[in-house]
Amino acid sequence: MRISGVPLLDSALVTGRVSARQTPGRICRVGIRDRVEGEVISVPRLPEHLLTDQEGALQGMVDAVELAGPVAAVGLGSLLAVVAGRGTSLAEEVSVPVTTGAAATAWAAVRNTLDLLGERDQPVTVLGFRSMVGQAVAGALAEEGVTVIAGGTGAALKRKAATLGIALHPEEQAAGEADLVLGCATTGNTLEAKHLRAQATVLDVALPSTLKSGPRPPGVRVFAAEAVELPEGWTRGFWGRLYHVFSGYGYSGVFACLLEPMVMALNDRVEPYALGRRVDLSAFTADADELELRPRLTARR
Amino acid sequence: MGQLRLVKTLQVDPPIWEKVQHAVAEALGLDDDEVELDARLIDDLGAESLDFLDLVFRLERAFSIKIPRGGIESQARGSLNEDIVYEIDGVLTAAGLTKLAEAMPEVPASEFCEGLKTSEIPTLFRVATFYRIVAMLLEEKAA
Repeated sequence: MRISGVPLLDSALVTGRVSARQTPGRICRVGIRDRVEGEVISVPRLPEHLLTDQEGALQGMVDAVELAGPVAAVGLGSLLAVVAGRGTSLAEEVSVPVTTGAAATAWAAVRNTLDLLGERDQPVTVLGFRSMVGQAVAGALAEEGVTVIAGGTGAALKRKAATLGIALHPEEQAAGEADLVLGCATTGNTLEAKHLRAQATVLDVALPSTLKSGPRPPGVRVFAAEAVELPEGWTRGFWGRLYHVFSGYGYSGVFACLLEPMVMALNDRVEPYALGRRVDLSAFTADADELELRPRLTARR
Repeated sequence: MGQLRLVKTLQVDPPIWEKVQHAVAEALGLDDDEVELDARLIDDLGAESLDFLDLVFRLERAFSIKIPRGGIESQARGSLNEDIVYEIDGVLTAAGLTKLAEAMPEVPASEFCEGLKTSEIPTLFRVATFYRIVAMLLEEKAA
């Protein structure tokens, strides 16, 4: 029996040691009734092991794909989307399309931002502009006519910001220049809340959360921005329900990145939406909108 | 031969350089010719923290080596004198700056300035920094 990818009967993993078994494990099946079905499979390694033994992580992923059998697409969750070349090496090793989930995450952040803005014409700060998700989000918002202030420094980011036609200011400064702030860094805990305006709203797709622990200006609200309402006809079975809860999705939502391989499969798409540092946000947006997927904000993690 | 030049004391081996250059380009989503030996990974090439993880993986694969975690830090610490204070509250002391400069000869001396925090060390990293680590590990492997 397994929950959240940690085999309960694998005492080695539970106590923080490398598991002698290290074989992937099936967690649950999820899907959209009569349209697509997927399986969540765990690679039972602790984060420290994944980071220090990326070749081992890659082998774990290859084994997991083998366990899955014939599938139309493979998605990567959490640290597996980051280690071993961000999906690129896995894509070279297996014969099925691999996508990391970054496009879906960016899509959810953009959609939630636009929904929150409504008709209001106000600037939005995008933190984590150095990341591929941050750049995709900033670019997409700018294309929608939103005034974007990107947070970051350096010659490379200046060139990128200029290409997108957006302002670039140091992160702490940028954080205080808008009432709506997006946290898009690939690693969290990057910003002290004191740099935010009072009453600011933070939409966060960073893991862990963008804000460091500490006092916040009055009225600051933080939302997780990568959740999606359960699609029509969502199936998950008993273990799927537990997986939802223990994974932090909440009972009635799912992380956008989980849907990315499903959307690929539903569209018979071979080209990944996201692989390595490449994110095809426009392609995912078109396909997700056609499927009427709806992102939503959830209370801060 | 614009890129194949001496960077401070660094003599570049073309076959090694090509693979390092390609690994950096792949990790950062750039074209190979956008990666120059003396480019700063964070400031000039836009690298973020996870790009370093990706870069290490690609270099390890390309050269069949194992880059120790915190490779530069461990290299610098390898010769630390226990009686000398190298950092205070995360800020490098003069001795710390000197030691770091020794460990990173590819970085201009002017960048080891007073007040440099340990958290800012990655901002000094050049492509040449990783070239040098690879070359050193290959040398150790061959020995």
